[in-house]
Amino acid sequence: MRRTWQGLKSDRFGMGGLLIVAVFGVVALCVWTGLLGQGWSEVSGERWEGASTAHWFGTNILGQDIFQRTLFGTATAIEVGLIVTFFSTLLGMVLGALGGWYSHSWPDEIILWIKGVLDSIPFYLFAAAIAFALQGIHWAMHLAMVLTFWTTTARIVRGEVMRIKEREFVDAARAIGLPGLTIVFRHVLPNTYHILLVQGTIVFVAAIKTEVILSFLGLGIQDGVSWGLMLAESSQEVLAGHFGNFMAASVFLFVLLMGFNLLADALQDAWDARRAIP
Amino acid sequence: MSRVALKVDKLSVWFGTTSARRQVVDNVSFRIGAGEAVGLVGESGCGKSATALAILGLLPTTTATVEADGVEINGRDIFSLSAAQRRRILGRDVAMVFQQPATALDPVFTLGQQIGAVYRRHTGISKKEVQLAMLGALEQVGFGRPEEIASAYPHQLSGGMQQLAMIAMATMCKPAVLIADEPTTALDNSTQAMIQHQLKRLQTDHNTAILLISHDLGVIRQSCREVMVMYCGRLVEKTDCDSLYAHPRHPYSAGLLSCIPQISATRPAGISAIPGQVPPATELPPGCHFAPRCNRAESQCRQSIPVLDTGLDRDVACFRQL
Repeated sequence: MRRTWQGLKSDRFGMGGLLIVAVFGVVALCVWTGLLGQGWSEVSGERWEGASTAHWFGTNILGQDIFQRTLFGTATAIEVGLIVTFFSTLLGMVLGALGGWYSHSWPDEIILWIKGVLDSIPFYLFAAAIAFALQGIHWAMHLAMVLTFWTTTARIVRGEVMRIKEREFVDAARAIGLPGLTIVFRHVLPNTYHILLVQGTIVFVAAIKTEVILSFLGLGIQDGVSWGLMLAESSQEVLAGHFGNFMAASVFLFVLLMGFNLLADALQDAWDARRAIP
Repeated sequence: MSRVALKVDKLSVWFGTTSARRQVVDNVSFRIGAGEAVGLVGESGCGKSATALAILGLLPTTTATVEADGVEINGRDIFSLSAAQRRRILGRDVAMVFQQPATALDPVFTLGQQIGAVYRRHTGISKKEVQLAMLGALEQVGFGRPEEIASAYPHQLSGGMQQLAMIAMATMCKPAVLIADEPTTALDNSTQAMIQHQLKRLQTDHNTAILLISHDLGVIRQSCREVMVMYCGRLVEKTDCDSLYAHPRHPYSAGLLSCIPQISATRPAGISAIPGQVPPATELPPGCHFAPRCNRAESQCRQSIPVLDTGLDRDVACFRQL
């Protein structure tokens, strides 16, 4: 852990990414605790006001403050990213490990079959179906993403577990009398954590992007505000020459994803450096 | 002979599915008394490791078939035990040391964590006591500063130190039987000596029976009183070390002995080798498996299988003994 941190510290781009992600994280925390972005639904000005000291990014068609809405959208994005990453990684890790350990026998066949079914449904159709089935439930979008994103993680973990289970230390663990499931979860899975870290960052970025797209399409956030909703509003406004919503949402989205990618790259390098020792 | 610690009766192993299975261990029987060390020698691919893994029940049931009249460890037939009961014996009554310590240790845990876990699993004592016992075990195998070793990850140690740590792990529970599968093959000579010293200590201190698998007759001679020579899954000669080295009866044993490089003042004319190679288990010749490589083979050798005869001072499976 300490060596990973040392490696990260010496990477300027990585530290920049960490700073960006940290700022967004603090914003999200402040929104959740009620310190920021609470005025996102309040009509506080005229329609389509320009940038001013009262409204930093101007106002939208209803006269709501775009800056407040952008901050609230940050919290939405981070929330979706964290929840989807956590649950899809957990699901993919457990099912991938079981599939890899019992490869080519019935538990693996069942998991592969479920993966195949989920992968064969076009994602936006699937998300629309779930959004329709769970109308009004805040977690519909999260659920749709978790149900589809775990398959990639599971596929990677399965392959890695199939590779690792042939290593001698697995035989050694058997030779000291450990039962199979203990060996998978205590000795094999920890050897895949570096892959899970990388895959987790990819899922996080994908989840945030997908949230924006789903919200844009009206399949996502219903009871708050999201960068996707702001972009949907802006599709009318840009033609009329009002760029506030469009610029705010797309720049925030771009900066967050960029920062996160920089951090993920640096983390991967720092982690690999530690692993490179034979 | 003292109390029998490991008894193997007519053990046979096949690899592959029923339609295309090949025999890698053929009717192997032997017993090892408590505190004794027995060597198992043969070229690569002779079924030595398969024998060891079969004794522990570690061969995957999907690809290997194991049959035996009985394998008893400390008087308990391990094939008659349930999987859970067998797991309780593994690591406590019988332990194994592997050829490649670097791959037999889990790279993401420290040695202390791994060694302690074995002990904790089989004794269920408190973490603090485990820690003390673990450091004690590391000290016993010759580490001056056991705390440093305990907090190191496997890749931070040399091969010899890893193997010593493996031995510390294997001996934490003072097993009745230790199976060492080529424990010194990957190590240099002086480290080999250290490992052998530790195996000796186990024998004398804890009365552990040792099955030492090696292709190196020199290593076996130093550590074992008795030796078994294996070829293509069959035991071909079984005797005490001294008489084997003085006078091998099976041509294969004689061949192995002549392959040992000798150190002498004059440069040797060349290294002798047994002609040919170990045949793959799918293409075993009928009759004596060694016949195609044997310069004493006759037509009888190529037609019928010699059985392991109990002779005066040894058991030999050969029609044309030296």
